[in-house]
Amino acid sequence: MSVLDVLLAIIFYPPIWQLLILGFGGALLIAIVAVWFERKAAARVQRRIGPYWASPRLGGLLHLVADMMRYMFQQVIIPRTVDYFPFLVAPIVGMAVSILPFAVVPLTANPSYWPLPPGLMEYSLLLALAISTLPPIFLIVAGWAANNPFTIVGGVREAFIILAYELIAILSLLAPAITVGSFNIVEIVQAQGFFKWFIILNPLAFLAAVIAIAMSTSAFPFEIPESEPEVVAGPFTEYSGILYALNMGGAYMRRFAFSLIASLVLLGGWYPVVPGEGVVMGYLLPSLVVVAKAALVTLAISFLRAVYGRYRLDQALDLAWRLVLPLTLLAILLALIEAYLGIVQPVKPDAAPCKYLLLIYSPRELLVLDYISGL
Amino acid sequence: MPPKAVAKTLPRRGGLFTGVTDNLAALMIGLKYFVNPRRFSIYYPKEYPELRQGYRGFIILNKAKCISCAACARICPSAAMKMIRVPVPHPKEPEKKVTKQFPVINYQRCIFCGYCVDICPTEALYHVNYHDIVYDNLAEMFWDLETFQKEPEYKTALEGTPVRLLIHEEYGLVKIPARGVREDGE
Ligand code: SF4
Ligand code: SF4
Repeated sequence: MSVLDVLLAIIFYPPIWQLLILGFGGALLIAIVAVWFERKAAARVQRRIGPYWASPRLGGLLHLVADMMRYMFQQVIIPRTVDYFPFLVAPIVGMAVSILPFAVVPLTANPSYWPLPPGLMEYSLLLALAISTLPPIFLIVAGWAANNPFTIVGGVREAFIILAYELIAILSLLAPAITVGSFNIVEIVQAQGFFKWFIILNPLAFLAAVIAIAMSTSAFPFEIPESEPEVVAGPFTEYSGILYALNMGGAYMRRFAFSLIASLVLLGGWYPVVPGEGVVMGYLLPSLVVVAKAALVTLAISFLRAVYGRYRLDQALDLAWRLVLPLTLLAILLALIEAYLGIVQPVKPDAAPCKYLLLIYSPRELLVLDYISGL
Repeated sequence: MPPKAVAKTLPRRGGLFTGVTDNLAALMIGLKYFVNPRRFSIYYPKEYPELRQGYRGFIILNKAKCISCAACARICPSAAMKMIRVPVPHPKEPEKKVTKQFPVINYQRCIFCGYCVDICPTEALYHVNYHDIVYDNLAEMFWDLETFQKEPEYKTALEGTPVRLLIHEEYGLVKIPARGVREDGE
C-alpha cells in the first residue's frame, strides 16, 4: 500500500468524506453561495442591482466571506437574563444536527463506501428523515432559553410551522419508498434508473417536498419565525456574533441536507453516473453528482425569495393543512397506484423491509400469503 | 334624493386552478427578469441624480436679511431650529453693543420639511439642492451661527458625475448626463 492509497483511504473513509468534506464543508460553501444567490437574484429580479464595489468579477461574492469573518470575530453578547447553558448550546447542537442526515444516506451504490453497515442501510431513508426532524427542536430551545417575549413568540411560530410541515416533508419523501417497496435509499435510486425519476413519475411528491423544505428552513415565502418586522428576529433576537451566524447558517445547511434527501429519492440520486469500482467511479463522481443536484434544489428554493412576499402565519398554516397536506396524500395515492401497476420494478421485493406496506396493496405478489405462510 | 344603495361584490377568490397558474406566472416573470435584468439603481456616488433648484436640501441662513422674528424656530415641527442671542453692534451707534436673536440648527433633528424656509418673511433662509453630507460625529451636526451661514462642502459633486434619471418600463433606468448642479456653473 503506497502513501497515496493510505491518503485516499483516509479521505474517502465515509465519515470523513461524506460528513466532513461534503457534509460540513460542502454545506458551508452552499450556505455562503445560497445567501449570496438569494440576495443577488432577488436584486436582479426586483430591478435593484447595486454596484459591486468589492469583487465585481465575482458578483460581490467576497462580501459574504467578509461577512462571515465579521461574525467570527464579533463580540458574543450573552444577556444576563438568559438561561445560560441551553442558550449557548442550542445553536451549536442545532447546526451539528442539521448536517447529520449526511452521515446516514448512501451517496453511491458501491457497498464498500456506505456510511452504515448494509443491514442498517435498509432503513437509511427512515433514519435520514428521523434525523432531519431534530434541528427545529433546538430552534425552539434557543427561543425559549433567550427568555424574552419576542424570542418565545418566535419559537412558538416555529413550532406551528414544524407541526404543519413535518408531516408533509416525511410523507412526500416517503412516497418513492412506497412505490419501490423499500426504505433503502440505494434501492430507491437504482429503481429510478436513467429515466424513471420520481420527479416525473410523482411530480406531486416533488412539489410537496419542495414546499416542505422551504417551510422547514424558513425560506421565502415561509420566513415566518424570523419575520423581522413583526417579531424582531424570531428565536434569534438575543443572539449575536458567531452564535447568530450559526443559527442563520444552520437554516441553509438544513435546507441543503433536506435537498440532499430529496435529490436522492426524487431526482434520481447519482444517475446519470453509474457507480462502478474504485474510488473515482465508485464514490467521488456519484457523490458529487448527488451533491450538485442537492445544491441546485437549494438554489432553486432560495430563488423563491425574489418572487414571493412573506406569508402570514395563518396563511402559511392554511396553505399547509388545507392544500399541501391533501396534495401529499394524493402523492401517496399516486405512489400506491404506481406500485400496483408495477411501473418501477422493486429491486428485491422479498428483502424489502416494508413488506408490511407491500402486503396491504400488492395482490400482484401476494405477499400477504407469503408473509402469513412465513410465520 | 339619497343615493341608491348598491351591493358591492368582493373580487372573487380564485380557485385551485387560478392559484396554480398565478403562481406559475409569478415565477415566470421572476425568471424573465433574472435572465434579463433591468437596473433601476445608479452607481452612487460615482453617479448621482441631479437635483433641481427648489430641492429641500440643507438650509443656509443669510444673516444680513434676518429680522429676528423667530418664526422659523416656532414653526419647526421637530424643534431643530433654536434662537440664540448674539451681541451685535447697534445700527445707529456702532460702538454700542446690543443683543439680537438668530436661528441655529441641529441637523440631528431636522427632517428637511422646509417649513422654516417657507415661513421666513425676509427670505433669510434658503435651501441648497443637496443633502448627502457625511459627518464624523454627532456633535458636528449641530451648526453654530458661523457654520449656518456657509454652504457645506458637497463631496459627491467633486468626484461623481451628475445624471438625470428617467424610469422606463422597458429599458429600466435611463440615465442622461446632466449639466451639473452646482451654482458656480460647473
Ligand atoms: S426644515 Fe423643518 S425640521 Fe428642519 S429646521 Fe426647518 S422647520 Fe425645522
Ligand atoms: S424666520 Fe427668517 S427672519 Fe425670522 S428669525 Fe428665522 S431666519 Fe430670521
